[in-house]
Amino acid sequence: MPEVLHPRDAVSPVPLTAHGVTLRAGAMRESVSLAAFRGQADTLRAFVGKEFDVDLPDTPRSVENADGITFIWAGPNQWLLRAAPGTDLLTRLSPCAAFAALTAQGDSRTALELRGPGARAIAAKLVPVDLHPRAFAAGDVALTLAGHIAVILRQVDDTPCYEFLVFRSLAQSLHHELHTAMLGGIPQADRIS
Amino acid sequence: MRLNCPCCGPRGLEEFTYRGDATVRRPESPTAPAQDWVDYVYLRDNPAGPHRELWYHGAGCRSWLVVTRDTRTHAISDVVRAVDVARADKEGAGS
Ligand SMILES: [Zn+2]
Repeated sequence: MPEVLHPRDAVSPVPLTAHGVTLRAGAMRESVSLAAFRGQADTLRAFVGKEFDVDLPDTPRSVENADGITFIWAGPNQWLLRAAPGTDLLTRLSPCAAFAALTAQGDSRTALELRGPGARAIAAKLVPVDLHPRAFAAGDVALTLAGHIAVILRQVDDTPCYEFLVFRSLAQSLHHELHTAMLGGIPQADRIS
Repeated sequence: MRLNCPCCGPRGLEEFTYRGDATVRRPESPTAPAQDWVDYVYLRDNPAGPHRELWYHGAGCRSWLVVTRDTRTHAISDVVRAVDVARADKEGAGS
């Protein structure tokens, strides 16, 4: 008998806490990427607006609709949609196939969540974009690097909480790097107020 | 060095890849004279001053950009999306 393959978590499901910052694997979500065909962005926008009652963001931001579906800017005329399991995003999006590329990304991306008053200082150790609240606020998105790992970074709320969407095969490395950054503590310069 | 990506905002050099001269154009016809192909494939100016060049924002929005950089100072005077340059080229050729 061949050995049965078991599904495994991308990273440890046990949350880690250090210096008041908690790192945990995000809940499983359906993920679908949406890329408008050439010249079809307006058609796609109109469809999504009607089907989901939301305006697709044109700048690096994310918006959430009333059903809790998150629409994340992922490049010019490209978006990543994330929703609770059972939403069946692909079926709801299937009419888009005429004017956009639809790709299921549920197996491709893992979410890591960094939450706590010091989360900004910890995230800033790895991410080369300005995370000061004046420059980056809840709902803002950056396609960038965390260390050397490509991520879609999103500020979830004002705790602050940051979500790192990372390719599954690199999730373990990013998890380790974030944990190492947490164990290094909050830099003195960030310990104001 | 930082580049102000029109899609993502100012980002560090580590997110980009340099491609080279943005002003060269592929010969229209495969039967163009050999010299045209040599110019296109191999020959480049080496200006001391403003240079229009292609950069790829691979670790960001994955857009190709046309950057105008002064080769003497690295001062960046302009960054636009290459797709917009190509569109303008096409419209210019069509009119
Ligand atoms: Zn960019």
